[in-house]
Amino acid sequence: MQDLWKQYRRPHQRVGTLKEALIALLRGETGYEEFWALRSVSFSVDPGEAVAVVGPNGSGKSTLLALMARVLTPSQGTIQVEGRVCPMLELGTGFHPDLSGRENVFLNASLLGLNHRRTQERYQQIVEFAELGEFMDSPVKTYSSGMVVRLGFSVAVHLDPDILLIDEVLAVGDEHFQHKSFDRLMQFKQQGKTVFVVSHDLSSVQRLCPRAIWLDHGRMVMDSGSEQVIRKYRAAVEEQERAGEARAHHARSL
Amino acid sequence: MADGGVGRAGAMKELVEVWRYREVLWNLVRRNLKVRYKNSILGFFWSLLNPLMQIGVWWLVFKVILGNEQRDYTAQLITGFLPWLFFSQTVLDSTACVTQEMALVKKAYFPRTILPLSALISNLIHLGFAFIVAAALFVIWRLDVNIHFLLVIPATLLAAVFAYGLSAMLAAWSVFYADVKFIVGNLLGLWFFLTPVLYPLHLVLRKEVATPDNWLEVAIHWALPAIKSIYLLDPVAIAILGYRSGLLGGGQNPILVTPRPSETEQMAALVQAQLRAQYPIATYVLGAVLIAVVAAMVGHLIFRRMSHLFAERG
Repeated sequence: MQDLWKQYRRPHQRVGTLKEALIALLRGETGYEEFWALRSVSFSVDPGEAVAVVGPNGSGKSTLLALMARVLTPSQGTIQVEGRVCPMLELGTGFHPDLSGRENVFLNASLLGLNHRRTQERYQQIVEFAELGEFMDSPVKTYSSGMVVRLGFSVAVHLDPDILLIDEVLAVGDEHFQHKSFDRLMQFKQQGKTVFVVSHDLSSVQRLCPRAIWLDHGRMVMDSGSEQVIRKYRAAVEEQERAGEARAHHARSL
Repeated sequence: MADGGVGRAGAMKELVEVWRYREVLWNLVRRNLKVRYKNSILGFFWSLLNPLMQIGVWWLVFKVILGNEQRDYTAQLITGFLPWLFFSQTVLDSTACVTQEMALVKKAYFPRTILPLSALISNLIHLGFAFIVAAALFVIWRLDVNIHFLLVIPATLLAAVFAYGLSAMLAAWSVFYADVKFIVGNLLGLWFFLTPVLYPLHLVLRKEVATPDNWLEVAIHWALPAIKSIYLLDPVAIAILGYRSGLLGGGQNPILVTPRPSETEQMAALVQAQLRAQYPIATYVLGAVLIAVVAAMVGHLIFRRMSHLFAERG
């Protein structure tokens, strides 16, 4: 990943209809304000590395994952990803609500380049891991959010991708499933696969990923060992909180 | 990376990419077929029953109530309606195809062309099923269908290429403007009457404004030759004529004139010869093919240029 920039045109106001667009055009408005979600982010990751991406909300973490998944294209810079990338795992995964769990497994598998037969071979494992036995033939829209995440996670780790992108799903699921998925990710890492984790659950991230990247307002603040990065990040957050409190205190005393 | 490049190398690369993701395409096609008749008891039979019922309504209105005198009117309706239904349904489905699959588009990479392609292929399959019904009816009616029925293959191909072009363009636009799908629905409703499904072609080609006496009629009179030419250049109209000619006309020139009440057979035959000379069918077929191919290329390019924005704007 080289000098990556991602610009969003953030709409002032959603231009949703032709009429609105025409009116905006006549008034000479572009309707957009430019906004960089990522500014000059560069790094490279070797196979087998597990990298955490930390930072406050809106710092560009999810954008970074979406760029790696090739869902978004960079505005500037290049990104080179070698190997099969699993569909991004986040709440409300790339599942079709009207299709059954089974059909979604096959659809997701095909996105990873697995054909029907090879998916069939893994199907049983996937269902067992997700603990969804009797639900696999019901439409996904009837699932609870925990079930969706369990299935999404199970699909992702069993379909043998080279790169796994995980956005805030580690904290979902019950205690038991959290342990199970954590072990599975460790195992995954040992097989020489690459894992990217975006999470606010800093302690579990630190156990899983030796390396961490800290983003703030689209800029890379730090890229180093996760222990170090997370310590600094926590310190920064605390400092900010103290500063905020001091301001509030100051405001009250006036 | 996102840009496959232009020219032949780019097109080749795109094809390879689609082929690599063919399993996704099949899964989406299978999904489309399943979802369309989800929660319906008759399920797949609807893709046979729907056109049949529509044709039944027209038969009732035009044949029974209005007393249309055309020979084999119902067979004419079927041969016209099958390609029309295929075309319009493909365009309609594709217009929504990207917005409907946003969940997938936002989470995973795959060549986005697969979305309109899946709509196209699903509708080709529906057409195939509808054909089974048509074939059964033709057997019941003892219609003499000969080897010329193979004409439906190039005719379908023509409609498919044209539909893909419009589909890709509309699918891309409708990600950004919700109006597109409403406009498309209405335009297709109009377009339907601009193709020879309900009425024979010669009705249009023989249309004349004898004594224009207001400005509107003068305008129509003046524009009529151009209108007729455009009418015949429409790839959908040509596809319909291909179906008619192949299934009912023994591969004959589709410009067929049936006599008006005031005319004798000979007079009608004379008009027919005149029209055939005036509208050389081969030229029009060629023109329609050209239009379809250009539409497909332009539509595809528009789709490709916009496709990298789908995930962030949808």
